[in-house]
Amino acid sequence: MLLEIKEVTIPTLDQKCVIVNDVSFGIEEGSIHAIIGPNGSGKSTLAYTIMGLGDYKTSKGKIYFDGVDISNLSITERAKLGITLTWQEPARIDGLSVHKYVALGLKDKSKMKEKVMEALKIVNLEPERYYNRRIDESLSGGERKRVELAAAIVMNPRLIILDEPDSGLDFIVLEDFMNIFEKIKKLNMTILLITHREDIGMVADYGTLLWRGDHIITDVFPKVMLRYCAKAGLKEFCKRTLFKNGAVCFDDDYIDRIFKEENKT
Amino acid sequence: MKNIDYPEEILQSLEDYNIDIRDFLPGHGKGAKLLLDFNKISGIEQVEGIVLKGREIPNGIVADIIIKEGTKHEEPVHLCFGINKETGVQEIFPRIIAENNTDVKIQAHCSFPNANGLIHKMFGHFYIGENCNLTYSETHYHGENSGALVAPVSYIYVGENSVFENNFNLTKGTPGKVKILIDIYALNNSVVRSNVKAFGKSIKDSIRIRDSVFLEGEKARSVIKMKAAAKDGGEVLMYGITEGNAPHCNGHVECSEIVLGRGSICRARPFIRATDPTSSVSHEASLGRFPQKWLDELMAKGLSEEEATDILIEAMLQEEVIL
Repeated sequence: MLLEIKEVTIPTLDQKCVIVNDVSFGIEEGSIHAIIGPNGSGKSTLAYTIMGLGDYKTSKGKIYFDGVDISNLSITERAKLGITLTWQEPARIDGLSVHKYVALGLKDKSKMKEKVMEALKIVNLEPERYYNRRIDESLSGGERKRVELAAAIVMNPRLIILDEPDSGLDFIVLEDFMNIFEKIKKLNMTILLITHREDIGMVADYGTLLWRGDHIITDVFPKVMLRYCAKAGLKEFCKRTLFKNGAVCFDDDYIDRIFKEENKT
Repeated sequence: MKNIDYPEEILQSLEDYNIDIRDFLPGHGKGAKLLLDFNKISGIEQVEGIVLKGREIPNGIVADIIIKEGTKHEEPVHLCFGINKETGVQEIFPRIIAENNTDVKIQAHCSFPNANGLIHKMFGHFYIGENCNLTYSETHYHGENSGALVAPVSYIYVGENSVFENNFNLTKGTPGKVKILIDIYALNNSVVRSNVKAFGKSIKDSIRIRDSVFLEGEKARSVIKMKAAAKDGGEVLMYGITEGNAPHCNGHVECSEIVLGRGSICRARPFIRATDPTSSVSHEASLGRFPQKWLDELMAKGLSEEEATDILIEAMLQEEVIL
C-alpha cells in the first residue's frame, strides 16, 4: 500500500465533535482511489489531514506513506515526500503567471519551460496560449483547475489528492477531466479522488465510502457506489448509473440483495 | 552619441526589475534618453517631438523634458538617475511638459546599488496638456546595504480630457529611509491612475508615501492603488488621499498591506474628502497576512512557509505595467 490510514479519528478544531471516526483503509500505488460520501461525511477533512494542513490534526491513529509514519510531518515535508493536493477552489493570485505558478513545485528547475509546457499539454491547455497568462479572474473555473492539475503533475508526485475536482464543471469539461485522470495514472502517479459524484468516481479503480464520519466500505469502486446508493435508498438511481465501459456493473438481484442488507443495518 | 560608459553595477541592478537598460542607452534603442551618473549628465538623446535639456548644478541637475504638441511615441523616454557611490547628495529638479494631444510613456530608473547613507531628492513638476496620454513609471533600487535617504516631491497637473498613469515601484533591495510625496491635480474629464508599491524588508527600512489626487475638474476620475509589505522590522506607511472638489467627479483609494515578522509595521491611511455634493469618492484598506489557504496551496507544492510568503509578496507587488 502506498498510503495507509490506520484508526484515524479527526476532531473539530475545538475538539468538541468528531468529524472522522476511527477510519482505516489503504490506497494501492498506481491506482485511482475515490473517497465518496454525502456532504459533511468528512471526505475533505480526511484529504486535508493526509496533506497535513495546519487546522486538521488527528486525535487518534496514524497515517503511513510508503511505510513511513507521516502523522507529525508538516505540509511541506509531506509534499517533499511526494504528496500533493489540488483544491476545490484554487486561489487566484493575480501577480503570478501560469508558467511561474506551475513551475513552483519543480524540484529540478532545468528545462523548466519544457516541463511546464508538457504539463500544460497533459491538462489540455494550449501551452502557447496559457504560458504567460496570469492566475487571475480572466481564467475560468475550469481553466484554473487545469492549471492547478498541471502544477501538481509537474512535481511528479507519487500521490495526488484531488479535492472535488468536479465542482462547478459542466459535463463536457468533466468528461475531459476524467481523461486527464487516466493520463495522470499512466504517469505512474496515484490519485486519491474526493468526490460525491458517481460519474466522475467511475474512473476510479477503488473507492471508500464515508458516512457521517464513519468508514463503511473500501472495495472496487462500483461496489462502493452500490453501497452508497443502498445507504441513501436510491435504488432506481443506482440501476440507472452503475455502468462501467457501457456494461451494467450488477444485476438487479444483486442490487436488491445489497439494498435489503443495508435496510437491515 | 553612439557609445557610452555607464556604471555596470547600475545596469545590473535594473535587471532585477526585468529592465534591460542596455537597449535604452544613447546609441541604442529608439526612445529619447537622459542619463545621469551621480550629478553629471552622461548622456542625452532626443527624438523627434521630444526635447530634453539638462543643466548641471551643485549637487544635481535641472532638467526639462518637453513633449511637443501632437507627439506620439511607442518607445518610452528613459530617465536614468544612477549613483554608484555609497554616499553623497543628488538633487534633481525635473520639469515635464506634455503639450496638447500627446501620447508618451516615461520610464525613470533611480538606481543606487551601493547606497549607504546616500541622499536623493527630487522636486518635480509635471504639466500635462489637453487630450494627452502620459504614463510615468519610476522604479527604485537602493542596493542591499542600508539603503538611501530618498525624498522626492512631485506636483502633477493633468489637463482636460487627458489620462495620466503613475507607477511607482520600490520593491527590490533595501529601500532605507524613504519619504515620497505626490500631488496630482485632475482637471475636467481627466483620468488619473496611480499605482504605488513598496516593500520594507528590515528594520533599516522606513517608507512613507503620500499619494494625493485632487479632482478639481468636472467629471474627473481617479483610482489610487497602494500596495505594500513590511517584514522583519520594516515599516511602511501608505497615505492615499482623494478629494472630490468638482461636479460629478469620481475617485477611489485602495490600500492593501501585508505585515510579516516581529516588529514590522504597516499603516494604511486612506483619506477622502468631498466638497461638491455631486462628487463621489470611496476608499478601502486592508492590513494583515496572506490567507492561510494561499500559503497551504503553495506549501503543498513543496515550498516552505517562508518561500511561499515570498512568492506571494512578489506576486502582490508584481509590476503590472510593462512598458
